[in-house]
Amino acid sequence: MPYLVALLTLAGVLPAQALMSQAPYPELRAVDDAQAYRRIRLEVQAAPTPETAAYQVWFSRFPFERTQDAELHTIIKVGDTAGLTRTPIGEAFEDCWSDGLPIPRDASGMPVIAGSAGGFTCALSGMLPFTDYFLAVVPVNANGVSLAGGPLFPIRTRTDAPDLRPAEPDTRPVLFALGSIVLSLAILLLYLRWRDLQAGRSNARLAHLYIAPAMIALAALTFYPVLYGIWLSFTDANQTHLGEHVWIGFKNFGTILDSAGTARVGLFTLIWAVANVSAHLGLGLLLAIALNHPGLKGRTVYRTLLLLPWAIPGYISVLAWRGMLEPAGLINAVLGTELDWLASPNSARTLVILVNIWLGAPFMMMALSGALQSLPRESYEAAEVDGVHPWRQFLHLTLPSLKSIVVPLSLLGFIWTFNMFHVIFLLTRGKPDVAFGEPGATDILITYVYDVAFEYGNYGIAAAWSVAIFLMLFAFSWFYLKQTRAIEAIR
Amino acid sequence: MRPSAFLSATLILSTLLVACGIEHTGDVRPQDPLIVWHSYATNGREERVFLDAVNSFRDAHPDIPLEVNYVRYLELVTQFITAAQGGEAPDLIRFNHDHLGEIGHVRVGGLPVLEDLRPHLTPEERRRFDPRTMQSMRYESALLAIPAMQSCLSLIYNRDIFDRQGMAYPNDRWTTDDMVRTAETLSAGDVYGLAIPIKWGYWWTPFQTGYGGSLFNSQNVPSLDSGRSAEALSFVLSLEQEHQVTPPGMHPESMKTAFVQGRAAMVIDGPWNWGSYLDAGINLGQAMLPVVSETGLRMAPLLNFHGWSVATDSLHKPEAVKLALWLTSAPVQLQSARVTQSLPTLQSLLEGPEIQEDEVLAGFMRQARECVPAPTLRATGLVYEPIETALSLVYQGEISADEALAEANLHMLKVVGK
Repeated sequence: MPYLVALLTLAGVLPAQALMSQAPYPELRAVDDAQAYRRIRLEVQAAPTPETAAYQVWFSRFPFERTQDAELHTIIKVGDTAGLTRTPIGEAFEDCWSDGLPIPRDASGMPVIAGSAGGFTCALSGMLPFTDYFLAVVPVNANGVSLAGGPLFPIRTRTDAPDLRPAEPDTRPVLFALGSIVLSLAILLLYLRWRDLQAGRSNARLAHLYIAPAMIALAALTFYPVLYGIWLSFTDANQTHLGEHVWIGFKNFGTILDSAGTARVGLFTLIWAVANVSAHLGLGLLLAIALNHPGLKGRTVYRTLLLLPWAIPGYISVLAWRGMLEPAGLINAVLGTELDWLASPNSARTLVILVNIWLGAPFMMMALSGALQSLPRESYEAAEVDGVHPWRQFLHLTLPSLKSIVVPLSLLGFIWTFNMFHVIFLLTRGKPDVAFGEPGATDILITYVYDVAFEYGNYGIAAAWSVAIFLMLFAFSWFYLKQTRAIEAIR
Repeated sequence: MRPSAFLSATLILSTLLVACGIEHTGDVRPQDPLIVWHSYATNGREERVFLDAVNSFRDAHPDIPLEVNYVRYLELVTQFITAAQGGEAPDLIRFNHDHLGEIGHVRVGGLPVLEDLRPHLTPEERRRFDPRTMQSMRYESALLAIPAMQSCLSLIYNRDIFDRQGMAYPNDRWTTDDMVRTAETLSAGDVYGLAIPIKWGYWWTPFQTGYGGSLFNSQNVPSLDSGRSAEALSFVLSLEQEHQVTPPGMHPESMKTAFVQGRAAMVIDGPWNWGSYLDAGINLGQAMLPVVSETGLRMAPLLNFHGWSVATDSLHKPEAVKLALWLTSAPVQLQSARVTQSLPTLQSLLEGPEIQEDEVLAGFMRQARECVPAPTLRATGLVYEPIETALSLVYQGEISADEALAEANLHMLKVVGK
């Protein structure tokens, strides 16, 4: 273009000043095969004069002849590059090259080229994809005044490089697993139906059809997550490479056995579960017997009041307790003290157990109260006629009769309490700490697993913990039912 | 049709339907809104300024539908990582630079979960920001957020309590001896002289720097036991256990409550609560954190930077960046500074009269100059836990301060090594 201006000037088409102000606008070239997402690579053939202090790169989405109609994009300083560092490509805010090397940068990170440099190349950032841009480069002096004259002739270019986004999760294995589970269930139900027909049981012909939706829902919502969790426990899944995790066998199970604090948190979980279930049953039974006493007046009122802790959502109750246990809370106000109840390990452990006892006892009371009401009065009347002491009535009549309800209740209570997350999480978050990098004083296994998964991001290890907890509870349930012969009792 | 045949047909059909489920294509639909997550306290001043800015963006860009959601600050990182792993991350989210350190290493399908914003900004757009704030938003070499505000802890006091006792207000020449002496005098009845959460790692750091220590050395290696850090740990616990000038069991929320209720004469707190204190009618004053009497060094808290990040799997990246630039623009930052006393990140505002001539902002600015920016590393997010374990163990009398910090540092080195 400068040549065209010169020719037109010499031909008298343009005024003579146009030729005089012909300035060394650098030659520009957009390197189309090196465009990247939101970046256009511009190659500038520059020949700085002694007055050139910098090159300014201007851009606009529309053609422009003056810098006033464009936006300043980048400034490349011209100066002494001796002693300046060349930040490796990819480490600076934007990438520029000169003489085939990463461009030198001054202390503030500004790119600098030597006066003898033949030009520079920059990956200009901030460019919208699929949008035309006009780019021009202007040499300026130390005051930022253009050294070139005449209108600018920007080049037109664009980047169509696509954005790099994570691949959509591959849902095929999930769908395959779900489909397999559902298909297996369908085959199972058909087989059972066939067995019924073989055995001549034809009075409930649609029974399998009725239970099919529930079974399918169970398969999708329970069986699949459980199986996925088991598979995850054998992988190295963690925050740094989820989606690229690989099978590592039993390594995670070795890790959890080796972890410092495993025995301590396991023991406290056991104490937590046993203390709570025993107290829930004991207190529940005591209250149920008291409420069942024929001479008790205002039974409904007591029952309603005692049911309140269970009726209020658990997390609200726990937060209320946390507030009351604060140094400036109700408990200290009543006692006239200013103690930090949850600061020491032992008081914190005792208090989390007490709060959970308070929360869980009403449920046991209601369940046992119902069972007590169903006991035959005749046996007690006969015992009274025979002069049997009430305590012996309780031992020999009430307790054996309650076995069929107490055994499954205590088993369920143990499993619930063992995995009771919200009480500890909301009350203490497992604190106070007792050792570095170990579970807190009030952590139980399930709250610790949460930390392993979501605080430390070790999904594989957390899944291994979950499988271990499942196996512990399964073994306990099997042993407990076997010992108490509860299945027979229920039958 | 026989029931068994019907049953078979239903089950097989449902299986096939599941197996042939339509795969999510990830195509953006025009009506899909740009999802923004923020953690400003509900109904607080910060939230009001933010929502005003969002509404003005809506007015200026009616073609960009927005959906704004609140997420609790303490759950922000966990919720974001979980959402990102499930392909459901919000397009734009506000993080502080500690969070960036925690999230920077997270990968899903081999890619980071936060977008490197370097390609999205022109050098001139970037140069408008204070270089220190821009640098703090970088994890390794990537730029993970556009800086929106900066803040750090300072000494905030209730002038009325000082006036009642006829005590002079804190000033920038105060030493820790002055602070403790005054706090002891002001502690009477149900009023405490100084409320701070003594067992929180973040509140311990200014004491550590005042005693010549630092969280990390110049090579960014954990150095929790550096300098006279153990003395700093003992000193901070002594405020409750020995001097009894701070209430027991304080955490940030109970500290705020105590100050709002006039039960604390001084707090070490940031500008983020200034609005709440003003709204509660407290006659506020602010001073720099004191110089530690034993060392002659000024307590230097960590300087926090907040910024707006874009999720890597966002389908609205250009729009999200446009909104981030709007939310960090001069009018929004100025409004935020005026209403919430947070310090801006734009060079022009930091040097401008609006900040320099405002007594409160200038005070926070003086404090910020003394504050230390923590490096944006994964270790920065992990460092508070061992500090808090150390504080807790020393508080319980289980271990000495020296031993606690040595063990804490050893633990950090192990974690960083992993």
